[in-house]
Amino acid sequence: MAGDAPLLEVRDLACHFFTLDGVVRAVDGVSLSLARGETLGIVGESGCGKSVTALSILRLIQKGAGRIVGGSVRFEGRELTTLSDEEIKELRGHRISMIFQEPMTSLNPVLTVGVQIAENVVRHTGAGWREAMDRAVEMLRLVRVPDPERRVHDYPHQLSGGMRQRVMIAIALSCDPQLLIADEPTTALDVTIQAQILELMVELKEKTGTAIMMITHDLGVVAETCQRVMVMYAGRKVEEAPVGELFANPLHPYTRGLMRARPRLDEDAEGSGRRPRLQEIPGIVPALNRPIAGCAFAPRCALATDRCRAERPELEERPGGHLVACFEAGKGVP
Amino acid sequence: MSETKPGAAPARPSLEVFDLVKHFPIRKGVFGRRAGEVRAVDGVSFAVAPGETLGLVGESGCGKSTVGRAALKLVEPTSGRIVVAGADVTGLSPRAMWAHRRRIQTVFQDPYSSLNPRLSAGAIVGEPMENYGLSRGRETEERVAALFQRVGLRPEAMRKYPHEFSGGQRQRLGIARALAVRPEIIVADEPVSALDVSVQAQVLNLLIDLQEEYGLAFLFVSHDLAVMRHISHRIAVMYLGRIVELADKRTLFRQPLHPYTEALLSAAPIPDPARKRRRVVLQGDVPSPANPPPGCRFHTRCPYAVARCRSEDPPLREVAPGQHVACHLREVGAGPGPLAAAGA
Repeated sequence: MAGDAPLLEVRDLACHFFTLDGVVRAVDGVSLSLARGETLGIVGESGCGKSVTALSILRLIQKGAGRIVGGSVRFEGRELTTLSDEEIKELRGHRISMIFQEPMTSLNPVLTVGVQIAENVVRHTGAGWREAMDRAVEMLRLVRVPDPERRVHDYPHQLSGGMRQRVMIAIALSCDPQLLIADEPTTALDVTIQAQILELMVELKEKTGTAIMMITHDLGVVAETCQRVMVMYAGRKVEEAPVGELFANPLHPYTRGLMRARPRLDEDAEGSGRRPRLQEIPGIVPALNRPIAGCAFAPRCALATDRCRAERPELEERPGGHLVACFEAGKGVP
Repeated sequence: MSETKPGAAPARPSLEVFDLVKHFPIRKGVFGRRAGEVRAVDGVSFAVAPGETLGLVGESGCGKSTVGRAALKLVEPTSGRIVVAGADVTGLSPRAMWAHRRRIQTVFQDPYSSLNPRLSAGAIVGEPMENYGLSRGRETEERVAALFQRVGLRPEAMRKYPHEFSGGQRQRLGIARALAVRPEIIVADEPVSALDVSVQAQVLNLLIDLQEEYGLAFLFVSHDLAVMRHISHRIAVMYLGRIVELADKRTLFRQPLHPYTEALLSAAPIPDPARKRRRVVLQGDVPSPANPPPGCRFHTRCPYAVARCRSEDPPLREVAPGQHVACHLREVGAGPGPLAAAGA
């Protein structure tokens, strides 16, 4: 394997859902790559396709509801879209792990957390049960669950939300994966617990060298954990850049809109005593079950021209490792 | 808007809550034996002035939603007093409460589950107007249409049903319903938390515009500090059923005095990768409100706790003009200044 080949390379991925209301193009031609040990953030609002992208990589799209209709996913040089079910199962929880927003729905309520960690270890490494339980304690210690020797015998309902998410991370990292996909891992948690979990993830990444794909709607989470960010809208990538570049120099009107729409915690904008207006993004996201002519963001975009409404902008490279899909990129008020 | 300080509140507050306590029984076994109680709210007092937004912020289980529900009389408090627009509504039966309910309305987090799916949008907003005899017939229809326009819904939408609206539109409909009876105060419990960022901004702007236009008071309940900072005039920070700090928002954000407030503010991620902050990461979880710690309820997670904090419950005191704090380490008039970590 070449040292500089990306760990994960997704090309033109398309995942469609077949519903009574027509074909929903949830992911419609997304490309991305992730280097070893890198953290990539994927941001966007509900329905932008960020979660479906992640689920497609792991082939977790429910059969019968939707399927990958095009593109390729190469991980460590292997094509994942054509693997057999058995082969992809072997990969999940081993080379690639995933954690979700609500840990309670991902944990088995009738097994102790120790057994759930050990199960994964036994399945993927062929370790003995005893050895695997030792590993479970070690993993709980790694994710800083207090008193791991005792907690290993706890059931999920005995743990708080934050502790459950730590357990999920322990399971996910138990077989030293190369890639951890985290889908809104702190969204269901309180802010002080979120701070603990994000700190833990950043620290574990340094320690283990696991690459992370961080899927979130929260630009704050991205700013604090990611090295590179891609912004998705209506099933497509509209912008991508290193994290510093994206926040310093957002080019896509949607990205700029997202940054301005959110009230800021760190700004004394209310100096005059009057509450400032937030900048709205008018309208709502388009339905994805009908073909979209032109740029999907055009109906909500203040900069949209006739060309934007007729022709779809492709991603273009800009200085600073920046990619943007917009004919009017960088124009208007920065 | 002018900042309203507690104590200097104008003539009659829109809502006053005195020493509110709400304990929920924990029942066990087939006979529902009372096995203890969850102290959801344990002695909370505040007032909301006309035209003012008081933010109630805190993490899950701190009791902020229960305070809102008690103010609306959706739950009966265990003890304490609730005064809505000058009228003491404590202990009123639902029937007796009806007349007062017009003064205090609510906007919920999930607009879908709070709107009757079988009523048209026009009826959802129009019915309360007619119920309270504020208008009838054609006049109702005209008023509903005007209200729709005001909250950013097309008058044609009056014929639609809730499921035909997007999340943001449904929240606008919920707001229109609350406004229909011309209330004095609106209790809004996480009204934008279920909405996407781009739509959140639309709803927050609308709420602020309506407040300024109608002189409405808001009791705004949220876990989202950025939203709180944006919309509130004053903010009360809750922890395990108590208010630990209450101040006007600028003071609170610039100079939090309670260690929990300090940690909460520093925990929220900020969308600016260039900015490195000193973060107080709290260890451990929030203790159970069924069994709150003795002394100061925050002492189990407080980096500055001393012996006194473990035994003596600190009262909420005004330590600086307009800034109320419940912490032994903040003596009256001692000034802000950083606290020393315990054992340091």
